[in-house]
Amino acid sequence: MTDLAERRGMNTSVYQPAEDSGLLAQAAVGRVSGRVLEVGTGSGWVAERLATKTDADVVASDLNPHACRQAAERAAALRADGHRGFEVVRGSLVEPFRDDAFDAVAFNPPYLPEDLEAARDDWMEVALTGGEDGREIIDPFLDTVGRVLKPGGTVFLLVSSFTGYDEVLARAEANGFGHEVVVQESYPYETLTVLALE
Amino acid sequence: MKESLMDILCDPLDKSELELEVDERDGDEILEGRLIGTVTGEVYPIEDGIPNLLPPDMRD
Repeated sequence: MTDLAERRGMNTSVYQPAEDSGLLAQAAVGRVSGRVLEVGTGSGWVAERLATKTDADVVASDLNPHACRQAAERAAALRADGHRGFEVVRGSLVEPFRDDAFDAVAFNPPYLPEDLEAARDDWMEVALTGGEDGREIIDPFLDTVGRVLKPGGTVFLLVSSFTGYDEVLARAEANGFGHEVVVQESYPYETLTVLALE
Repeated sequence: MKESLMDILCDPLDKSELELEVDERDGDEILEGRLIGTVTGEVYPIEDGIPNLLPPDMRD
Protein backbone atom coordinates (compact mmCIF):
# COMPACT_ATOMS: atom_id res chain seq x y z
CA MET A 1 0.00 0.00 0.00
CA THR A 2 2.97 2.33 -0.11
CA ASP A 3 1.73 3.56 -3.49
CA LEU A 4 -1.07 5.24 -1.56
CA ALA A 5 1.50 7.28 0.33
CA GLU A 6 3.25 8.09 -2.93
CA ARG A 7 0.03 9.31 -4.46
CA ARG A 8 -0.26 11.63 -1.50
CA GLY A 9 3.03 13.41 -1.88
CA MET A 10 5.40 11.19 0.05
CA ASN A 11 8.43 13.24 -0.95
CA THR A 12 7.50 16.35 0.94
CA SER A 13 7.06 17.19 4.59
CA VAL A 14 3.71 18.92 4.02
CA TYR A 15 0.52 17.20 2.83
CA GLN A 16 -0.45 18.58 -0.56
CA PRO A 17 -4.06 18.88 -1.76
CA ALA A 18 -5.65 15.65 -2.97
CA GLU A 19 -9.17 14.29 -3.62
CA ASP A 20 -10.03 14.53 0.08
CA SER A 21 -9.03 18.21 0.24
CA GLY A 22 -11.21 18.96 -2.79
CA LEU A 23 -14.22 17.20 -1.26
CA LEU A 24 -13.84 19.01 2.06
CA ALA A 25 -13.65 22.40 0.32
CA GLN A 26 -16.59 21.52 -1.93
CA ALA A 27 -18.67 20.56 1.11
CA ALA A 28 -17.84 23.62 3.21
CA VAL A 29 -17.96 26.36 0.55
CA GLY A 30 -21.52 27.63 0.37
CA ARG A 31 -22.30 26.36 3.87
CA VAL A 32 -20.00 28.51 6.01
CA SER A 33 -20.05 32.12 7.10
CA GLY A 34 -18.86 34.10 10.08
CA ARG A 35 -15.61 32.76 11.52
CA VAL A 36 -14.27 29.41 10.35
CA LEU A 37 -11.38 27.25 11.57
CA GLU A 38 -9.61 24.73 9.38
CA VAL A 39 -7.76 22.25 11.60
CA GLY A 40 -4.74 20.47 10.08
CA THR A 41 -4.55 22.83 7.14
CA GLY A 42 -1.35 21.35 5.65
CA SER A 43 -0.46 23.45 2.60
CA GLY A 44 -3.38 25.80 3.34
CA TRP A 45 -5.25 24.86 0.18
CA VAL A 46 -8.67 24.32 1.78
CA ALA A 47 -8.25 27.50 3.86
CA GLU A 48 -7.53 29.40 0.63
CA ARG A 49 -10.71 28.01 -0.98
CA LEU A 50 -12.73 29.08 2.07
CA ALA A 51 -11.11 32.53 2.15
CA THR A 52 -11.68 33.20 -1.55
CA LYS A 53 -15.03 31.45 -2.16
CA THR A 54 -16.91 32.51 1.00
CA ASP A 55 -17.26 35.68 3.04
CA ALA A 56 -16.04 33.92 6.19
CA ASP A 57 -13.07 35.01 8.30
CA VAL A 58 -10.76 32.01 8.05
CA VAL A 59 -8.25 30.73 10.58
CA ALA A 60 -6.03 27.76 9.72
CA SER A 61 -4.02 25.68 12.19
CA ASP A 62 -1.53 22.84 12.00
CA LEU A 63 0.80 20.94 14.30
CA ASN A 64 3.56 20.85 11.66
CA PRO A 65 5.79 23.96 11.51
CA HIS A 66 6.53 23.38 7.81
CA ALA A 67 2.81 23.26 7.06
CA CYS A 68 2.25 26.46 9.03
CA ARG A 69 4.93 28.21 6.96
CA GLN A 70 3.49 26.97 3.64
CA ALA A 71 -0.01 28.00 4.67
CA ALA A 72 1.21 31.44 5.82
CA GLU A 73 3.00 31.92 2.47
CA ARG A 74 -0.22 31.02 0.69
CA ALA A 75 -2.14 33.53 2.82
CA ALA A 76 0.46 36.24 2.13
CA ALA A 77 0.27 35.56 -1.63
CA LEU A 78 -3.53 35.91 -1.47
CA ARG A 79 -3.22 39.29 0.25
CA ALA A 80 -0.63 40.41 -2.31
CA ASP A 81 -3.19 39.58 -5.03
CA GLY A 82 -5.76 41.76 -3.31
CA HIS A 83 -7.77 38.92 -1.72
CA ARG A 84 -8.51 38.58 1.94
CA GLY A 85 -6.04 36.13 3.36
CA PHE A 86 -6.41 33.89 6.36
CA GLU A 87 -4.67 33.63 9.74
CA VAL A 88 -2.31 30.77 10.60
CA VAL A 89 -1.80 29.36 14.10
CA ARG A 90 0.49 26.50 15.13
CA GLY A 91 -1.36 24.33 17.60
CA SER A 92 -2.83 20.95 18.47
CA LEU A 93 -6.43 20.40 17.27
CA VAL A 94 -8.67 23.07 18.85
CA GLU A 95 -6.62 23.51 22.05
CA PRO A 96 -5.42 27.13 21.50
CA PHE A 97 -8.89 28.52 20.72
CA ARG A 98 -11.47 30.04 23.03
CA ASP A 99 -14.88 28.62 23.82
CA ASP A 100 -17.59 29.48 21.25
CA ALA A 101 -15.00 31.06 18.90
CA PHE A 102 -16.17 29.57 15.57
CA ASP A 103 -19.30 29.24 13.45
CA ALA A 104 -17.75 26.27 11.67
CA VAL A 105 -14.73 23.98 11.94
CA ALA A 106 -13.42 21.94 8.98
CA PHE A 107 -11.01 19.01 9.33
CA ASN A 108 -9.42 16.57 6.90
CA PRO A 109 -7.75 14.46 9.56
CA PRO A 110 -4.84 12.04 9.42
CA TYR A 111 -6.82 8.85 9.03
CA LEU A 112 -4.85 5.96 7.54
CA PRO A 113 -4.50 3.01 9.91
CA GLU A 114 -0.83 2.41 10.66
CA ASP A 115 -0.57 -0.81 8.66
CA LEU A 116 -1.49 1.02 5.44
CA GLU A 117 1.48 3.26 5.80
CA ALA A 118 5.14 2.35 6.03
CA ALA A 119 6.40 3.65 9.36
CA ARG A 120 8.18 6.86 8.45
CA ASP A 121 8.62 8.80 11.64
CA ASP A 122 8.43 12.15 9.88
CA TRP A 123 5.94 14.97 9.38
CA MET A 124 4.28 13.21 6.43
CA GLU A 125 3.47 10.23 8.64
CA VAL A 126 1.94 12.63 11.16
CA ALA A 127 -0.15 14.11 8.34
CA LEU A 128 -1.39 10.73 7.09
CA THR A 129 -1.56 8.29 9.94
CA GLY A 130 -4.30 8.05 12.50
CA GLY A 131 -2.69 5.41 14.70
CA GLU A 132 -3.58 1.71 14.90
CA ASP A 133 -7.25 2.11 13.96
CA GLY A 134 -7.00 5.37 11.97
CA ARG A 135 -8.98 7.24 14.63
CA GLU A 136 -6.24 8.28 17.05
CA ILE A 137 -6.62 11.94 16.01
CA ILE A 138 -10.31 11.94 14.99
CA ASP A 139 -11.48 10.72 18.41
CA PRO A 140 -9.87 13.50 20.50
CA PHE A 141 -10.97 16.00 17.85
CA LEU A 142 -14.61 14.90 18.19
CA ASP A 143 -14.29 14.93 21.99
CA THR A 144 -13.05 18.55 22.09
CA VAL A 145 -14.36 20.42 19.04
CA GLY A 146 -17.74 21.21 20.62
CA ARG A 147 -16.08 23.60 23.08
CA VAL A 148 -14.90 26.03 20.36
CA LEU A 149 -18.12 25.88 18.30
CA LYS A 150 -20.74 28.57 18.75
CA PRO A 151 -24.25 27.30 19.53
CA GLY A 152 -25.68 26.14 16.19
CA GLY A 153 -22.20 25.83 14.69
CA THR A 154 -21.20 23.08 12.26
CA VAL A 155 -18.24 20.70 11.97
CA PHE A 156 -17.26 19.51 8.47
CA LEU A 157 -15.32 16.28 8.91
CA LEU A 158 -13.82 14.16 6.14
CA VAL A 159 -14.14 10.43 6.82
CA SER A 160 -12.50 7.67 4.78
CA SER A 161 -13.76 4.10 4.52
CA PHE A 162 -10.29 3.11 5.81
CA THR A 163 -11.09 4.78 9.10
CA GLY A 164 -14.33 3.09 10.09
CA TYR A 165 -17.31 5.21 9.15
CA ASP A 166 -19.67 3.70 11.75
CA GLU A 167 -17.14 4.12 14.54
CA VAL A 168 -16.59 7.79 13.67
CA LEU A 169 -20.36 8.38 13.61
CA ALA A 170 -20.76 6.65 16.98
CA ARG A 171 -18.07 8.88 18.51
CA ALA A 172 -19.73 12.00 17.06
CA GLU A 173 -23.12 10.91 18.47
CA ALA A 174 -21.54 10.20 21.87
CA ASN A 175 -20.43 13.84 21.84
CA GLY A 176 -23.97 15.03 21.14
CA PHE A 177 -23.64 15.67 17.40
CA GLY A 178 -26.29 14.87 14.83
CA HIS A 179 -24.99 14.27 11.31
CA GLU A 180 -25.76 14.83 7.67
CA VAL A 181 -23.82 13.47 4.70
CA VAL A 182 -22.86 16.48 2.59
CA VAL A 183 -20.93 14.67 -0.13
CA GLN A 184 -19.70 11.14 -0.71
CA GLU A 185 -17.38 9.88 -3.46
CA SER A 186 -16.04 6.40 -4.16
CA TYR A 187 -12.55 5.87 -5.52
CA PRO A 188 -10.86 2.59 -6.48
CA TYR A 189 -9.17 2.37 -3.10
CA GLU A 190 -11.50 4.15 -0.66
CA THR A 191 -14.81 5.94 -0.19
CA LEU A 192 -14.61 9.48 1.11
CA THR A 193 -17.48 11.19 2.93
CA VAL A 194 -17.79 14.70 4.29
CA LEU A 195 -20.10 14.80 7.30
CA ALA A 196 -21.73 17.95 8.62
CA LEU A 197 -22.03 17.56 12.41
CA GLU A 198 -24.29 19.84 14.39
CA MET B 1 -0.89 37.43 12.83
CA LYS B 2 -3.37 40.24 13.18
CA GLU B 3 -4.06 41.64 16.64
CA SER B 4 -7.76 40.78 16.20
CA LEU B 5 -6.78 37.11 16.45
CA MET B 6 -6.36 37.73 20.20
CA ASP B 7 -10.19 37.62 20.43
CA ILE B 8 -10.21 33.87 19.76
CA LEU B 9 -6.85 32.63 21.11
CA CYS B 10 -6.33 31.24 24.59
CA ASP B 11 -3.65 29.47 26.59
CA PRO B 12 -3.79 25.84 25.37
CA LEU B 13 -2.94 24.60 28.86
CA ASP B 14 -5.90 26.00 30.81
CA LYS B 15 -7.90 28.12 28.28
CA SER B 16 -7.12 31.30 30.21
CA GLU B 17 -6.38 34.61 28.50
CA LEU B 18 -3.10 35.52 26.85
CA GLU B 19 -1.17 38.75 26.97
CA LEU B 20 0.44 40.02 23.75
CA GLU B 21 3.96 41.45 23.60
CA VAL B 22 5.03 42.78 20.19
CA ASP B 23 8.64 43.12 19.03
CA GLU B 24 8.05 43.79 15.32
CA ARG B 25 5.05 44.84 13.20
CA ASP B 26 4.46 45.30 9.47
CA GLY B 27 1.30 47.39 9.13
CA ASP B 28 -1.39 45.54 11.08
CA GLU B 29 0.59 42.27 10.96
CA ILE B 30 2.47 41.25 14.11
CA LEU B 31 5.62 39.51 12.87
CA GLU B 32 7.64 38.87 16.01
CA GLY B 33 6.71 38.80 19.66
CA ARG B 34 5.14 36.48 22.18
CA LEU B 35 1.92 35.48 23.87
CA ILE B 36 2.10 34.96 27.59
CA GLY B 37 -0.37 32.98 29.66
CA THR B 38 -1.90 35.33 32.21
CA VAL B 39 -2.42 32.43 34.62
CA THR B 40 0.25 29.87 33.65
CA GLY B 41 3.02 32.36 32.81
CA GLU B 42 3.89 30.14 29.84
CA VAL B 43 5.54 31.99 26.92
CA TYR B 44 4.38 31.19 23.37
CA PRO B 45 6.56 32.70 20.64
CA ILE B 46 5.30 34.54 17.54
CA GLU B 47 7.79 33.95 14.71
CA ASP B 48 7.42 35.12 11.09
CA GLY B 49 3.88 36.13 11.96
CA ILE B 50 2.87 32.65 13.18
CA PRO B 51 1.98 32.20 16.86
CA ASN B 52 3.19 28.86 18.20
CA LEU B 53 0.54 27.79 20.69
CA LEU B 54 1.72 24.24 21.19
CA PRO B 55 2.10 23.34 24.86
CA PRO B 56 5.80 23.29 25.87
CA ASP B 57 5.95 19.47 25.91
CA MET B 58 4.75 19.27 22.27
CA ARG B 59 7.27 21.70 20.79
CA ASP B 60 10.27 20.45 18.84
